[in-house]
Amino acid sequence: MENNVVLSVRDLVVQFTLRGQVLTAIRGASLDLYKGESLAIVGESGSGKSVFTKSFMGMLDKNGSIKSGEILYDGMDLAKFKTEADWLKIRGHRIAMVFQDPMTALSPLVTVGRQIAETLELHQGLRGRAAKEKAIEILRDVGITNPERRYKQYPHEFSGGMRQRVVIAIAVACNPEILICDEPTTALDVTIQAQILDLLRDLQKRYGLTVIYITHDLGVVASVSDRIAVMYAGDIVEIGRSDEIFYDPRHPYTWALLSSLPQLGERGEDLFAIAGTPPNLFRPIKGDAFAPRNPYALKVDFQYRPPYFDVSPTHKARTWLLDPRAPKVERPKNLDRIREMGGFIHE
Amino acid sequence: MSKTDVLLSARDISVTFGKGHKAFQAVKHVSFDIYKGETFGVVGESGSGKTTIGRAIMRIQPLSSGEICYNGERISGSISRELDQEMTRKIQMIFQDPMASLNERAKVEYIVAEGLYNVSHGVSHEYVHEAVSRALSDVGLLPEFASRFPHEFSGGQRQRIGIARALIMQPEFIVADEPISALDVSIRAQVLNLLQKLKRERGLTYLFISHDLSVMRFICDRIAVVHLGEIVELADTDTLYRHPLHPYTRALLSAIPVPNPEVEKKKKLLVYDPSMHDYSKEKPTFVQIEPGHYVLANGPELETYRERLAKQD
Amino acid sequence: MAKKERWENVVPPVLETTPGYIPDALFERAPYDPTAGEKGGYSNYSYWGSTLRAFRKNKVAMFFLWVLIALLVFTFVQPLLPGQRDPNLINNDPETGYMLKNQPPSSEFWFGTNAIGQDLWARIWSGTRTSLFIGVVVAFFEALIGIVMGAIWGYVRKLDRLFTEIYNVIDNIPTTIIRMLFAYMMRPSLFTVTFVMCLTGWFSMARFIRNQIVIIRDREYNLASRCLGTPTTKIITKNLLPYMVSVIMLRMALAVPGAIGTEVFLTYIGLGLPVTIPSLGNLINEGKQVMLNGTLVYQLYYPAIIISIITIAFYMIGNAFSDAADPKNHVE
Repeated sequence: MENNVVLSVRDLVVQFTLRGQVLTAIRGASLDLYKGESLAIVGESGSGKSVFTKSFMGMLDKNGSIKSGEILYDGMDLAKFKTEADWLKIRGHRIAMVFQDPMTALSPLVTVGRQIAETLELHQGLRGRAAKEKAIEILRDVGITNPERRYKQYPHEFSGGMRQRVVIAIAVACNPEILICDEPTTALDVTIQAQILDLLRDLQKRYGLTVIYITHDLGVVASVSDRIAVMYAGDIVEIGRSDEIFYDPRHPYTWALLSSLPQLGERGEDLFAIAGTPPNLFRPIKGDAFAPRNPYALKVDFQYRPPYFDVSPTHKARTWLLDPRAPKVERPKNLDRIREMGGFIHE
Repeated sequence: MSKTDVLLSARDISVTFGKGHKAFQAVKHVSFDIYKGETFGVVGESGSGKTTIGRAIMRIQPLSSGEICYNGERISGSISRELDQEMTRKIQMIFQDPMASLNERAKVEYIVAEGLYNVSHGVSHEYVHEAVSRALSDVGLLPEFASRFPHEFSGGQRQRIGIARALIMQPEFIVADEPISALDVSIRAQVLNLLQKLKRERGLTYLFISHDLSVMRFICDRIAVVHLGEIVELADTDTLYRHPLHPYTRALLSAIPVPNPEVEKKKKLLVYDPSMHDYSKEKPTFVQIEPGHYVLANGPELETYRERLAKQD
Repeated sequence: MAKKERWENVVPPVLETTPGYIPDALFERAPYDPTAGEKGGYSNYSYWGSTLRAFRKNKVAMFFLWVLIALLVFTFVQPLLPGQRDPNLINNDPETGYMLKNQPPSSEFWFGTNAIGQDLWARIWSGTRTSLFIGVVVAFFEALIGIVMGAIWGYVRKLDRLFTEIYNVIDNIPTTIIRMLFAYMMRPSLFTVTFVMCLTGWFSMARFIRNQIVIIRDREYNLASRCLGTPTTKIITKNLLPYMVSVIMLRMALAVPGAIGTEVFLTYIGLGLPVTIPSLGNLINEGKQVMLNGTLVYQLYYPAIIISIITIAFYMIGNAFSDAADPKNHVE
């Protein structure tokens, strides 16, 4: 497994300065990304999941910077990159991104086909007819019917779901090694959302991509992710294979995220809810960041930050509950329903 | 349920945007009854007209035809000043986007008390202060938040401020327009539980608008599925989930993500294509196919739906 | 200092390593308070307090604010100082009895005298006072009428069409013609000039406010207010105008030098103030007549410098204030 790591993040610290105050968005997070896998990074807004991945592409806002840590990719340490020229070798070329809102990623004044062809010319060195043919092929690949006609149309002539397909087509046209999808379906309708996820899974196989999904909804990633990393307050608190996270979660925050899915709720009963709001990252955090909202918190959680405890070779969690000295706690009952959950159409 | 229990009824309502050849009918001859004490869900995707239905009930979107009655009294069109005041108090709304639905330049105290100033004149400062504190604690916020500005709060907290603002009016009926879709999944449960609790404690009636059937299952008593301005299926929640008939409803249900990787990876997605209906010979009608279960279909379609129901039982 | 402390507090926990020994007693369930997680916010935010604090951080704007205050105070204090002359007094040489005309700056006349022997120093301060007065009054009425009309125009949909048509008609008549018409009809005086400028100045302000209101009137928070039965006037004053504080302030700050400039122009074409009331317009007008004579060009320079200072000061202050009034810049 070790030699298949394409991207390795070590103890990354990212800070932002806002009017003289320092916000620590990423608090020493580490992550290994394996070739060809799809990894989902799940967390609430403000957990730093977007910032984390933006730091791989040099896309942090101006007031933010990597304070320490390493991002190792292809023999380079991306954390040391300073200039835009450095980043242009990576961004859109080796690592591409699909954003939540397709409209911001497309130019309204250029035809959809042209936008894809331009990307092909820039990144794959194709010219003229070849670029056009390849663009049409990619449009077909992302499930756009009648791609020859669609090639000549402008983004406003596309529906939201179709636009997102075009954005994905542009990202794929760069022939990237890693594709980062930041809430790719949040702005879309439910039925379209499922179709886009299907498409991404399909493209991943066909193009041999390594994909990172960023989302706040654990339910959405069950179909597409091989591994899941749960982020809270700028750190990865649990990471493991998809089945390990869904069937055998260990961190109380992961329990909370899963339990609160409405799919697991029973009519007439209260849903499981996480009380309170995420911590203010302008202030220093002592111990486990989740402790104040954690009904299972131990006294030690308020004192010391927990280390990772290994659950299996592929599964680890940052919680003192896994320490041998910790009392046994039972996780929320409704998590047991996950294994039995079927679809909503029975026949 | 008897006819007297009907709290709000929409009769053949239509809403048209624009004029002339640019006119666009967002809601097409929709009728439904909402019973006292129930949660009536309206589910549909963007452009289905679900939000327009909610706004028509709130009287901020005029109807182009049809009428809406509350407790048997017409509240759409031009109504008397007294009735307008009464309806402002009795029908309240919770909005979708907590980031956009609060006045950023006003303190929480003003935002929550706003409606109170409009319906009860000459209330004392102490009374308002007291009412705001109560409304805030009712939604699980600290009364000391009253002196702060909205931008200091997280999405979930802001949405609860929005609920407090509606509650202070002591409403009977609340239109909740996608109240949780802009929130993180982890925060949704907080807001849903709060809505449930308020319903239990105060006997509220909700119109719950959403695009997400996974949430509706949990909170709604009856659900209407709307597609392009028409109700295509209406049934009580259990029936709808057990016997979904209209292909659009089935597509929506199949799209609900299942938090079980083994099932989800094998799941077959149903795709709805309106051209699958052959309405050239016979126009569809809205028919009751089993008790309380209505579906928009024509003769041949009804046949197949009936067969499917018989097979399932 | 405070900044440094925060920094030091943040970094060590980020890279904190777990101590080798942790007492077993810590591995007990901690009491759980569901409201504890609710308090994570910030507190004691005050909109105007933060606005002022953000404004004060802008050193350049603060400098110009002090310049402007000093200028304003001095225009009032100057006549009370000892040894000042009346700005309209024609100074004669006590020995010859001739007018002391076009005297270059000297210890006697600090800024020199003009073509009829009036003391330029006294005239400039008197003129600055008059012009600032006109500027502030005109900007105030422009804002007042412009905001009221613009708000009604923008928010009341039924009136939009009517107002737009009226605006289009009036907008097609050059404002100079309207001003000239009224200036001819009325006697040249301070009131006339101010009135004529107020008459036309609010059009563009109203148009501007209308556009701003159209942008934000259908936001959800305004729909919410409508659902709560809030009357239109209150929606305008509580929901819409507060969002425009920063842009209104910028417009007003620019309106002051704008009005001063218009007064200069009106006086230049002979429709402004009578010569007996010194204003920056009058002074520039006089200066321009002797402009081509290199030794007398100081008569144009002094008023021009004052106008430049006023314009730049209002511009800088207006910009800085409008930035400061934007709550996005208030990160506590």
